[in-house]
Amino acid sequence: MRVAGHDLATEPLACKQAIGVVPQEIALYNDLSAWANLLFWGRLYGVPAAAMRERAGGLLRLFGLADRGHDLVGTYSGGMKRRINIAAALLHRPQVLLMDEPTVGIDPQSRNLIFEVVEQLHGEGLTIIYTTHYMEEAERLCDRIGIIDRGRIIAEGDLAGLKAASQLRETVAVAYAGDPEQVLRQAAAFWPEVHQDGAYTHFLTTGGQSDLARIIQQSGEHGMDIRSVEVRGVDLETIFLSLTGKQLRD
Amino acid sequence: MLQLALKDLRLFLRDRRTLLITFAIPLALITLFAFAFGGLAGDGDSGPYALPVSDLDGTALSGALVAQLDSLDALVVVPMAQEQAEEAVRKGNRDCVLVIHPGFADSVEVGGELPVELRYDEAQSIQVAMLQQSLIPTLAMFPFSTGHAQTAMGHRIDRMMDQDNERDRQAAKAQFDSLYRTMERGITGQPSGNMALGAEVKMTSLVKPAPGNNVGLIQAVAGTAIMMLLFSVAGLGMSLLDEKQEGTLKRLLVAPVPPVHILLGKMLSANVIAIAQLVAMVVFAVLAFGLQVRSHVVGLSLVVLATAYACSAFGVFLAAIAKSRQQVQGLSTLIILVMSGIGGSMIPLFFMPAFMQKIAVLSVNYWGIQGFFDVLWRELPLTDPVFLGRLAALVGIGTLLNGMAVMFFRRGLVKGV
Repeated sequence: MRVAGHDLATEPLACKQAIGVVPQEIALYNDLSAWANLLFWGRLYGVPAAAMRERAGGLLRLFGLADRGHDLVGTYSGGMKRRINIAAALLHRPQVLLMDEPTVGIDPQSRNLIFEVVEQLHGEGLTIIYTTHYMEEAERLCDRIGIIDRGRIIAEGDLAGLKAASQLRETVAVAYAGDPEQVLRQAAAFWPEVHQDGAYTHFLTTGGQSDLARIIQQSGEHGMDIRSVEVRGVDLETIFLSLTGKQLRD
Repeated sequence: MLQLALKDLRLFLRDRRTLLITFAIPLALITLFAFAFGGLAGDGDSGPYALPVSDLDGTALSGALVAQLDSLDALVVVPMAQEQAEEAVRKGNRDCVLVIHPGFADSVEVGGELPVELRYDEAQSIQVAMLQQSLIPTLAMFPFSTGHAQTAMGHRIDRMMDQDNERDRQAAKAQFDSLYRTMERGITGQPSGNMALGAEVKMTSLVKPAPGNNVGLIQAVAGTAIMMLLFSVAGLGMSLLDEKQEGTLKRLLVAPVPPVHILLGKMLSANVIAIAQLVAMVVFAVLAFGLQVRSHVVGLSLVVLATAYACSAFGVFLAAIAKSRQQVQGLSTLIILVMSGIGGSMIPLFFMPAFMQKIAVLSVNYWGIQGFFDVLWRELPLTDPVFLGRLAALVGIGTLLNGMAVMFFRRGLVKGV
């Protein structure tokens, strides 16, 4: 395996030097300030002393912590700690950034800021490997997505490719008044692919808005009383669930 | 209420650390103190005491005294040249030496004071005092057992009766009566507490430390400093496990530094803090209690460095073998208390029976405390093999523990992250 041109077996330290790691845990020293934490991790990666202050100051500003930089990390909120946790991985300007669930348990503002920073770094050419359980984060941030189940990659590609490969289709989910079994029989009379899931009758569609209009029109013509309508597209979450199943994981 | 109590009892029984502190540590300490004070050996009998004896008289009578001493259950005579024996006392390898001076036989025959001298180390005063309990009755009865009592009595009576006035003569007669009763008890094998038959032993201290330094002060400073140092380095070692639990160790392991450097960094910081702690304690003893160190700065520095190295290695070793902070806390409390107990930090070694003094060498505390005594009490030169040996023991213990810590760190802690 090679990392940024270095062989992992023969040049492990060079490989490590090329990588920035944002661990899932807040891997910082609570009894040191954010500034002191950044300097420590920077020195460990051999950041030149002359560049250290400029980089640390820049990262504190980037993550909105310039005015709290000299406070102890232990006094920070979860979101602030997460931001410094990421900053500590960037001081040495890595070529590859590994981010392990960097937005777990934080406020929406911090989360949004992290998204913006990740997008900015990506725009600057940094390779980022981002692991998350939040599918919308992967959809927003990632060019290539790998779905891992039980330790193995079971699907990989861009979002469009994953959608196509999944063969999943958009559905219109309609809640009708009345007996669900009778409703399903009535719906099957005017739509070829339909199934019942609880209170919702699901119409598998291919035509987007025009299919929606036809379903509403046909329902009226068959005297079916519509309570609510919902269009359910194919997103990463549905692909993920279809690939991994709904069985709980340990 | 009952449910709450049952729940608490269940949690208590599941908490190994609490069980250790509640039961194992007190039991270990009771056992330790029982041994230390001789309670388990029955009436403090801890085996015969090896007494170095230098017989400078070299007569049949002095030989007979040596044989009598050797026949006592409480003593085993170790014949030694005076110079060799005194060197051993000065270096802390022996408590004292009994010197039978030339003229001993003549004194026995004429009933004079026996020229017997106990040359000792004041740091071992308690052992020496206990030795006297065996020694003096034997010396007191020696003239009787060799058939010289009558001659001795005659000379003693002559001296007592050689008085100028009636009052003194009456007093001498009273002393004579008392002396006779003493002799009678001696013959019947029941020597009295009156040691008037030339049985006094001249006591001479061989070790003369700097004015202001006394055994108690050195023992207090060295014993306490080393025990507290062990507790603090155990805490420092725990920081490695904190790093593991809080995720910073994982982050350190992905940084471009060899994994073993993480442990070496811990060792270095533990050493610096250990040295600072020992220096602070010595400085406090100097300022508060007048401990004299001025002429021993180099020797003391070497002892401080070697002790700090050995103790900090103990802390790092604990961290490397333990799986959690809680485990370190339990283990360190147990090990430190036991080591401090047998090593002389909690109970001075001279209070302990001989076999406890022998197992004391298994403890870091022993070597450190003896190092302090070598410098501040015995004032051994820096090149003395005994002093260098103690330093080597401390460095050896530290290196062994550090080596094992590196091995356990590589095998366990790093892979377990």
